[in-house]
Amino acid sequence: MHFFVQELVNGLTTGSLYALVALGYSMVYGVLKLLNFAHGDLYMVGAYIGYFVIQWFGGASAVSIPVPLLLLIMFLLSGVGVGALGVAIERFAYRPLRDAPRIAPLITALGVSFFLENAALLLFGAQYRIYNTPEFISFNIGIHVGPLQIDIVRILVIVLSVALMVGLRLLVTRTRLGKQMRAVATDREAAEMMGINVDFTIAATFFIGSALAGVSGVMAGLVFNQVNNTMGFLAGLKAFTAAVVGGIGSIAGAMLGGMLIGIAESMITGYISSTYTNLIVFGILIAVMLVRPSGLLGRVQLQKV
Amino acid sequence: MKFRLMFAAAAIASLVVAGCGSSSSSSSKSASSGGSSGGKCSASIGIEAPITGKVAVLGDEQLHFAELAVQMDNAANGTNISLVQGDTQLTPSQAVTVTQQFISNSKIVAVVGPAGSQEVLAVGPLFTRAGVPFITGSATKTTLTGGQFPTFFRVVSKDSVQGPEDAGYINAHLHPKALMIVDDQEAYSTGLVSAMAPVFKAAGVSVDHESVSQTVTDFSSLVSKVTPATTVVVLPWQVAANAQQFGRNLAEQHKKAVIFGTDGLYSPGTFTIPGSYVSSFGPDITAIPADSTIAQQAKAKYGTFGTFGPPVFAATHVIDQAIASVCKSGQTPSRSNVLSAIKQTDESSSILGQPIKFDSHGDLIGAKWFLFKIGPKGAYQLVTNS
Repeated sequence: MHFFVQELVNGLTTGSLYALVALGYSMVYGVLKLLNFAHGDLYMVGAYIGYFVIQWFGGASAVSIPVPLLLLIMFLLSGVGVGALGVAIERFAYRPLRDAPRIAPLITALGVSFFLENAALLLFGAQYRIYNTPEFISFNIGIHVGPLQIDIVRILVIVLSVALMVGLRLLVTRTRLGKQMRAVATDREAAEMMGINVDFTIAATFFIGSALAGVSGVMAGLVFNQVNNTMGFLAGLKAFTAAVVGGIGSIAGAMLGGMLIGIAESMITGYISSTYTNLIVFGILIAVMLVRPSGLLGRVQLQKV
Repeated sequence: MKFRLMFAAAAIASLVVAGCGSSSSSSSKSASSGGSSGGKCSASIGIEAPITGKVAVLGDEQLHFAELAVQMDNAANGTNISLVQGDTQLTPSQAVTVTQQFISNSKIVAVVGPAGSQEVLAVGPLFTRAGVPFITGSATKTTLTGGQFPTFFRVVSKDSVQGPEDAGYINAHLHPKALMIVDDQEAYSTGLVSAMAPVFKAAGVSVDHESVSQTVTDFSSLVSKVTPATTVVVLPWQVAANAQQFGRNLAEQHKKAVIFGTDGLYSPGTFTIPGSYVSSFGPDITAIPADSTIAQQAKAKYGTFGTFGPPVFAATHVIDQAIASVCKSGQTPSRSNVLSAIKQTDESSSILGQPIKFDSHGDLIGAKWFLFKIGPKGAYQLVTNS
């Protein structure tokens, strides 16, 4: 039982990160029908910002401010910084192509992804940056029952992720901005005719989605310790898969997809073998897509003929 | 439209800056090669290394040491050798592309690299057909020197030496009843596992063989499978940061297994789990008095380094010396005469702290193997070399 719970917590941790990144994919797809392949790289930028904040305040072994304040600054700076980067990317790389054939922004998104990855290589070098989280947050804080070991960082990641997901859900369903986002996602032209500022709404969507990626990058740094310029690729791929499985365009679907992939990976590694993790996980995903092509919580799109 | 143009201009400008950055970090020169220029012995050498990608930290180190060797040898021999960079990203397909470019560049008379065994397997037939000598500083798969690539050489030991030596040390000194061995799904890693497994089996050690991609960064699920009886975890990996995270995950779950890593894990700034072992095909040259000049220059120019750079320095030096000897004999350096000169290499000492001479298959005669233990403060201490 302990082993099961341990694997469940491991899976929930990685699943939370996949889910947060998947939310950005899903939101952007919802309003623009664009697969923003640069989204994983925003997660990488967020992780770097978190790392440099730690260095600013004395480094992992000599943090000069209280740890909760440090974490707050890391999350805030990363969220705002990466959110702003997302808005800039939308403004300069995607907006000019909004009415172009859909393949054009897709290729541009791939280009932006490589651009960010290599810009990080040029700016920060090839070496791995290590968060060294245990230096300022002890492993001994957390839940320790027999062989079950859940440290405070994992608890923080799961709780914060769930809070962000709930907050996003409330924003989309209960606020004026959320209503505008849903209107733009449903019919951009009609929304514009109804007086909605489409450019602002899309920019706000990019800001929120990118900020979530930035925050999840900091969480990844805290849990997995390492940051380098290529880390966004796999995370982006897994998150994109999560978004598709959950039903791309669906916020609840992105959360569900992320959690499912994280837990499936963890359970297969724990109970079968790490050798077959990707094989089985993606096999399950193919099966899900065959049964529900629009994803677990996705809506079937009606085509006008 | 204006914004579009501005963005495009900014993107192109940054690419130009990136290009300038990479070329300025190279010692490549545009001087013609493969002949005499103003009485100087001129030639070009290619280097295939993972300069970008997941293991760019290793590729960068290899590139830096190759640059240093060319610079020092040019000064010592009065030659005009230039270095042409090829980024393989440690992927065979990319290595093949770079190799085809190098082969079609007639100025290139020899190549340093590639870094990975899987890459050597991919490019070996191309270099063999073109008659281009190539010397790796890190590819250790045993079968690479089985005779199918007659222009291939290496300045490091092979898995059939390092793997059994590592496994033998673990059995003799760490006395595990059960151990976990995790490959990273690359030819380098699976090759070492294949060489170690029979030794563990013969000693009656229970082995849990796992496999994770190099791109994975969370090992908590895998660590959950480390039982109290599992006292050693063997990680023949190339990414030190991953091993550090594995160690963190072990500590997080309060597990006491000792990590035993190989080659790529030698990274004093990155992999610092106390009590861990790292076996390496390369020495710590900062501990070799004869290498102090090279070590100081490398540190001053490029910062800290591990054990991937020095073997590439040795490989580059072998080629530099071969080119110089060809020129000295009055010939113009070509692929065939440089190949012959490399085969005759017989250096009594080298940066690796041992003589360099190749056997008929291209293996380094008497290749050494080094084992380090990480101390309480993350410092690497040499345990043994053989």
